[in-house]
Amino acid sequence: MTIAKRYLRVVHLLFIALLLIQLLPDKSTKDVYTGSLIAFAVAAEAVVLITSSFVKKEASLKLVVDIAGFIFVVLGIWSLATAKFNILNDLLFPAPGKVIHQFAEDKATIVTNIESSLGTTIKGFLIAVIVAVPLGLFIGWSARIGSAATYITKFFSSIPPIVYIPYGIALLPTFKSVSVFVIFLATFWPVFAGTMSGVLGVDKKIIDSAKVLNVSKPEMLFRVILPASLQQIFLGCNQGLSVSFILLTSAEMIGARDGMGYYVKYYSDFGDYTRTITGLLVIGIVVIAVTFLFNKLQNHLLRWKR
Amino acid sequence: MTTNKIEINGLTVNYIDNKRSFNALRDVSFGVGRGEFVSVIGASGCGKSTLLSVLEGLYAPAGGSVQIDGKELHGTGSERGVVFQHYSLFPWMTTKKNIEFGIKQTHHDIKRRERSRIADEFLTKVGLSDAGSKYPSQLSGGMQQRAAIARALAMDTEILLMDEPFSAIDPKNRIILQELLLSLWEGDGSEERKTVVFVTHDIDEAILLSDKIVVLTAHPGTVNEVVNVPFERPRNRAELVGTQEYGRFRNRLLSLLNTDIAERIGGDEVVL
Repeated sequence: MTIAKRYLRVVHLLFIALLLIQLLPDKSTKDVYTGSLIAFAVAAEAVVLITSSFVKKEASLKLVVDIAGFIFVVLGIWSLATAKFNILNDLLFPAPGKVIHQFAEDKATIVTNIESSLGTTIKGFLIAVIVAVPLGLFIGWSARIGSAATYITKFFSSIPPIVYIPYGIALLPTFKSVSVFVIFLATFWPVFAGTMSGVLGVDKKIIDSAKVLNVSKPEMLFRVILPASLQQIFLGCNQGLSVSFILLTSAEMIGARDGMGYYVKYYSDFGDYTRTITGLLVIGIVVIAVTFLFNKLQNHLLRWKR
Repeated sequence: MTTNKIEINGLTVNYIDNKRSFNALRDVSFGVGRGEFVSVIGASGCGKSTLLSVLEGLYAPAGGSVQIDGKELHGTGSERGVVFQHYSLFPWMTTKKNIEFGIKQTHHDIKRRERSRIADEFLTKVGLSDAGSKYPSQLSGGMQQRAAIARALAMDTEILLMDEPFSAIDPKNRIILQELLLSLWEGDGSEERKTVVFVTHDIDEAILLSDKIVVLTAHPGTVNEVVNVPFERPRNRAELVGTQEYGRFRNRLLSLLNTDIAERIGGDEVVL
């Protein structure tokens, strides 16, 4: 990449514009923590500059630059609408600096809540995958019950998992275990269905080439059928993962004592909308991060597909 | 006469298509001697691939028998290596892993390190020494078939079954692959040659490679004739193809191939 391609970017103008906006006098009577906003913007700009200097692929640089640009624009408009011109109700709409400051202040609590939420999700999700994939392989492979199993799966996966929550509460000792249980159900059915449809869709030629190699039954299932259906399995996993987050945060808002859903619900009950918005943004970031990592894993395991 | 490696006797195969059963092969009989290279040729739809899937153990015959070393064939077996037209390799394994996986299936006692050495050896033999860490999707069709041949040979089975392995390859590479297969199969004389059943619709390919050619005719597939190839080995393609004997032999095969067509259109000769 040329120097111009690396450093001549509109994003830097957006950054400067955001700083200039901060020079305007505050109309809001409350403390708007302009310092926190500037610190955050400088940090984001630093990330852009470091990426510009070191990243090798132009596409990745473009991605970072565009995201940073978007953030600068949003922060600029947000800061104009709140701190600078006070157009929005400052109780319901905290200034961006305030949210950033709140995040820094509550960091420890937020991390604990993220850990709790992620722990629950990962537990439910992993147990579901570990049970659903082998089961889907076995049942999909034994063609006779395969077609019946497809209909049964359709029935169970059409029940929105959230309706299991009241029953789960009656059934299980702690609210945490109810969350794990519901996430398990939300992940199990799509992964199971994905695995089965993957198995049923494996190219007959691949099965034949495995058969003529005289592979053992476990090898047929785990070294041939499993990789051949991996794409469909991941389709199910992705669906399960996104539903899991919806469910988890909903469940946490109903009756949990920790977790990100609880954080948002708890503070909005108190009318602390700075923390509510902080919580919303953190949930978004966490979900994106998890999805990103999961896609990385998926691309790695499916790297043999062009 | 010594006993044949493969003995096919009165083989009849029915296919069920749209709930209608029809005869794919009827009363097919021929033998394949130990270390013999036998091609099966015929027009498309004559059941030559069906015949091979019976030998592979993927398809059960309706009647007749197939014996290998005098024993009735039941299902797939580790004494037979197979190369298909497509998808012999698993796309999620690298070329080398594919070969190692194949070796493991026929020789459970060979250790991992030895498997890796054998895989490298055969990759080199087929000219793919640099492609071991590549996935099949990164290779051309010709290279994939090289790897499939490398696997089949590395598995060191007594019998090789090849189902139109070169028919999806462009003409130039097809010739290169035929020569490669021939030189690997003939070897340096130190080892016993493998018994090969090779299905093709390419007459020249069949003549160049085989000791014996089984000509099938269609509807239903029956053996029209089994012809011994009269040319000495090692054969030189360029010299052979120009000779009168070659031309005559080729014409004879062509007329055998087209017997059924001639009958069906009512004439007794087909001009090609």
